Amino acid sequence: MNPADNQIYIIIFSTLFLGGLMSTFVVAMVFIHRQRQAQNRQKMDQMRAEFEKTIRNVEHEIHQETLTQVGRELHDNIGQLLSLTKLNLNSPKPEKQTEGREYLDKIIKEVRALSKTLNLDWLESVSLDDFIRQQLEKIQSTGFCQTALESDGSYLELSKDQKLVLIRVIQECLNNAIKHAQPDRIDIRIAKNNQSRRIEIQDDGAGFDPSKASTGSGMFNLKKRMETIGGKFYLTSEVGKGTHITLELPF
Amino acid sequence: MIDPNIWIAFGSWYHIILDISLLLSIYLFFKLPKEKRANSTYWLPFLILCHFVVYQNFGAYTNYNFEFKKAVNAYLGNTENPKFNLWLYNITERQILTVLYLFLIRSWLEPSMKKYINWMIYSFVVIALILQITKVELMYTEQPVIFALGANMILIACGLYFIGLITNEKYLVSNPLRLLSFWTTTFLLFNYSLTYVSSVSLLYLYRVNPVLGKSLFQIGRVMGVINISALVLLIASAFLTKLFDREPLYESGR
Repeated sequence: MNPADNQIYIIIFSTLFLGGLMSTFVVAMVFIHRQRQAQNRQKMDQMRAEFEKTIRNVEHEIHQETLTQVGRELHDNIGQLLSLTKLNLNSPKPEKQTEGREYLDKIIKEVRALSKTLNLDWLESVSLDDFIRQQLEKIQSTGFCQTALESDGSYLELSKDQKLVLIRVIQECLNNAIKHAQPDRIDIRIAKNNQSRRIEIQDDGAGFDPSKASTGSGMFNLKKRMETIGGKFYLTSEVGKGTHITLELPF
Repeated sequence: MIDPNIWIAFGSWYHIILDISLLLSIYLFFKLPKEKRANSTYWLPFLILCHFVVYQNFGAYTNYNFEFKKAVNAYLGNTENPKFNLWLYNITERQILTVLYLFLIRSWLEPSMKKYINWMIYSFVVIALILQITKVELMYTEQPVIFALGANMILIACGLYFIGLITNEKYLVSNPLRLLSFWTTTFLLFNYSLTYVSSVSLLYLYRVNPVLGKSLFQIGRVMGVINISALVLLIASAFLTKLFDREPLYESGR
């Protein structure tokens, strides 16, 4: 065999080898793609199940919170009004009886308002800004601390699930502040930038060490909840210097 | 009466298929809505196809008009082999087509990978220019280094596409067998790997074993036709929604 023949064989062999190599490569890639696709589908199903579980938990917690609130209202507000009505209606004086009937009207209004909060349909009609405003007004009306809300309306458009999770996370943040921080002031600021919108919750209370395990798990839950709706949860706190929480959601 | 040499130059099965493909793609492209025509998913394959068919026909013309070919060769300094039209294929196929194919593959990659193709295009253009200006590789004869460089870059770009296919979430939820980008990349991969050795040793093969040289050259032509068919399908994909899926990284405003 002369050298030219050898070289020709090398050329043919190299061409066939490269062709074979590429065929193997493409087949392998399709095979890996199929495998990863199955893994990805499994992961997505898992994420979807986790998301649904979170939403169910959030709904349940909001329900519980509402029931507690309703109980408190029945005891502190409607109960008092009913006692007053009874007293007035039992009075022989006609003006007292008129006052009693006015109280009855007020009770009917209060009960109607309360009954509306018992199912979660109110979530559909209330905007996040309104919800935060109501929560802050409630806190302030108890005389617990001063509150302020500053909003540019960037959270007015939200899906029901996003709103549900945000409401629960905000509720939890405010509860934590009231229960553990004893602040003089709670400020909430809603603003947006080019990529995302932010809710900042700032209190000037006792603060805490976020690295401690006892506080970490609650924060971890809030963080996970924000992640299920594609958002982020940031917290900075220092003993004696208050707490600053940021909830971020992309557009 | 028509010169019989015209038929010899332009009448091969290869040129007929290419010309039909061009006519078909022109019809399909101009049938697309205006906003789709402005999208690189459609105009880039159309541009590549036009470029490919035009230079192949120009190549056929150089074989038909020997005096023209001879004059260009003489202008470039090649008086030794006036029959060569390698200068045309060096510029249009080995250089411009490589860059266009790199752009096409780039359009299917996620943004984080596009920068690698950008760098490949810059370096390929700069190296090809330096090699030709310094006369390391002459324009009118074989350019094995430039071809090998371009072919390697195409193969790497195809590799990047396949990496995206198995890592990108959007590609993972799609069926690759229904993606034209997958088929086009696969055909490009085969085209460049099957013609790699024969293209680098083209002149040697023609000198030593012309029959084998021509046979291997035919492989290149068959692969060329397959690639052109893939380009036609890319343009026609807007009308073939039952057969092919939309590209996972398709952006309507691109």
